[in-house]
Amino acid sequence: MAAGAGTGQAGMTMASDEARALAATLRDLDGIVRILTCGSVDDGKSTLIGRLLWEASDLPEDTRQGLIRQAGPDGIPDVSLLLDGLVAEREQGITIDIAWRYFDAGRRRFVVIDSPGHEQYTRNMASGASHADIAIMLVDARHGVKRQTRRHAAILDLVGVKRVVVAVNKMDLIDWSQSRFEEIAADFATITERFAFEEAVALPVSAKLGDNVAGRSAHTPWYAGETLLEIIDRAPSRIIESGSAFRFPVQTVLRGGTDFRGLAGTVASGVVRVGDPVFDGLSRRQANVRRIATMDGDLEQASAGQAVVVQLDTDLDVARGAVLSSPDAVPVVARAIEARLVWLADSPLDASHGLLLRTATDLVPLSSIAIRARLDLETLQETAVSSCSTNDIVIADLSLAQAVAVDRFADNREMGAFVLVDALTGATLAGGVIVTAAARSASEGNDAFVLTNEMLARGVCAGLASSDPEFRRRAQEVAIILRAAGVTVARDKGPGES
Amino acid sequence: MTRVFSHLDALEAESIHIFREAAAQFRKPVLLYSIGKDSTVLLHLARKAFYPQKPPFPLLHVDTTWKFRDMIAFRDKTARELGLELLIHTNTAGAEKGVDPVRFAPSLYTDVMKTQALKQALDLHGFDAAFGGARRDEEASRAKERVFSFRSPGHRWEPRKQRPEMWRLLNGRLGTGESARVFPLSNWTERDVWRYLLREKLDVVPLYFAADRPTITRGGQILVLDDDRLPLAEGETVVTRRVRFRTLGCWPLTAAIESDAADIESVVAETLSARTSERQGRLIDHDQTGAMERKKQEGYF
Repeated sequence: MAAGAGTGQAGMTMASDEARALAATLRDLDGIVRILTCGSVDDGKSTLIGRLLWEASDLPEDTRQGLIRQAGPDGIPDVSLLLDGLVAEREQGITIDIAWRYFDAGRRRFVVIDSPGHEQYTRNMASGASHADIAIMLVDARHGVKRQTRRHAAILDLVGVKRVVVAVNKMDLIDWSQSRFEEIAADFATITERFAFEEAVALPVSAKLGDNVAGRSAHTPWYAGETLLEIIDRAPSRIIESGSAFRFPVQTVLRGGTDFRGLAGTVASGVVRVGDPVFDGLSRRQANVRRIATMDGDLEQASAGQAVVVQLDTDLDVARGAVLSSPDAVPVVARAIEARLVWLADSPLDASHGLLLRTATDLVPLSSIAIRARLDLETLQETAVSSCSTNDIVIADLSLAQAVAVDRFADNREMGAFVLVDALTGATLAGGVIVTAAARSASEGNDAFVLTNEMLARGVCAGLASSDPEFRRRAQEVAIILRAAGVTVARDKGPGES
Repeated sequence: MTRVFSHLDALEAESIHIFREAAAQFRKPVLLYSIGKDSTVLLHLARKAFYPQKPPFPLLHVDTTWKFRDMIAFRDKTARELGLELLIHTNTAGAEKGVDPVRFAPSLYTDVMKTQALKQALDLHGFDAAFGGARRDEEASRAKERVFSFRSPGHRWEPRKQRPEMWRLLNGRLGTGESARVFPLSNWTERDVWRYLLREKLDVVPLYFAADRPTITRGGQILVLDDDRLPLAEGETVVTRRVRFRTLGCWPLTAAIESDAADIESVVAETLSARTSERQGRLIDHDQTGAMERKKQEGYF
């Protein structure tokens, strides 16, 4: 959208030609690239990001001048001050939480997700990583690859980051040693080849001095690769998965006028057009798309990333948690899931707690969870265990008290990721990705207590329609309480309920 | 016509997604409407998120009684034209005790008339979630905010206990006594807000545009006199200057900048070449080190 359409009354006389020319260039940008930075404590991560902002972004002049004024005797501004925000952090000298920074370069928006170095806050790193398109891992040239580096690589792989850069920092402190750099790069390669990264590169830098960040370093004539900015600059924006199967997780139902009932959601993948047949896996019903509505007018089609309202030609009575797909490429309606998890909670897994599985828009109780193996961060091998605690990466088998529509994470990022939620406190306990999903688990017997809509409607949900979200919420609560009392609960949904 | 999916399209879709996630999960949300440009964008996105319904929540304005008159007029006109329920809350106990930004330190005034007032209003109506227009690019402590930001009983923000937010999964399940703040504009920058106002042709309070206004200078900042409640110190004289605001708040605490940008294109152009960070105009943030972080821990939005 170009500028110049405004009709501000004073604008006719006051806006200079120069200002109008500037505003005219203020088109929407072409895309957004999210960059995660991670490393161990004191690897110089904040300094590296500060350096990126200093070199590549249009920092406000007051901020720039402030840092120049505060520079020490060597005259080098401490660019890390651009990052460390909270008082609690400054007092401890560590970054306790992910910080988001935004800058525009060229025709794109760059988002830097600065994640904590301290092992105690690995969960925050996992959280940040799940949003990233590319990750910069920092390694201190003096210390090389550490346990934390392996942990971070494993988490990046788990949450689906495909591009990683290892920045071997503080090269100035080891006299720009080529052999040391190559040793670290080789160590890193043995880690990354274990995972499914599409690209993994190493480069020697000094974040403090700027070498190989924006400009090529005179100290590393032996390094022929790209600078950090060059690598970031060619990173693709978030991949729009228009090629893969259509998935539309329903967020909420919207009504308008007398006969409009629309399903609101964001297209998770693929494309849908007016007239397309769509299928709801949970109710096993099919309809055709009548309208794709937005406040800016109806659309002929909607593709991945677009937030729309879909109206169907027959009222399927689907609600939040349903996933519309095309009838010939449907998600799995799963009761049993094999998953990889990163355990985020402070306390270890306590299987006696009521747990909920939160998928794209659905929330269902677990009937059981069994930890099968843990990733050993020294060997990167899986070892058999049955428990898990903070920061562990494990493989687990989940049985669900109610079916959910999902895909394997490898097939569909939006449909294959989930979090585990503590039913009582609401806390997010773990993040996970689906490895396999099946209709029914082998261990699930026929002795489950079946909680029917009829039962619920007699008492706890009296007076509520079964399509009412409050009905559903109460049903979940009852299931959770029963489960906490040791009863295996299955929900038998009435016809028309999703 | 197929339009390229630009970065603003992506931000808009993300914000709509957040609005819908919150409305589906929280029992009784409210939109904190503070009249400024961010609130204008926030409200516009809320309308888009629930179209063809109206947003399924009211607007709440915490009125300190020291907002610019233009802001109040704009607020009332907006609610009326869009047919939305507008709740207005003032900390009357604070107002009766005469807590004002003239005689009291900005931190105390803000605590009583904004932070406490907000808590009162949320408790009074039993809201379990409040949408706000805060952006992560505004200030260091906001750079760490979640999209769903949880508050323990008493509305306290505990930075160490924030829930991890992974992928696009927003977990809105509340623990006992918890409430949430929801920030649909988390990933927007000030420039994006202006770009979007321009693109969507949205009206904003006229104070954002340069005009000749009665001003004084105090502490190196330009203040616009909105009425006669601010006594002048010795040596201060009222001077007409051509000024505008980058951010709006209580008028004795909000500094103006000298500018000729009298329409939205000019403001956008000026913002594009901005040489100072936005919150420099908010005097309360300069009050003490870590001011915003402390205010947030105490429950300021």
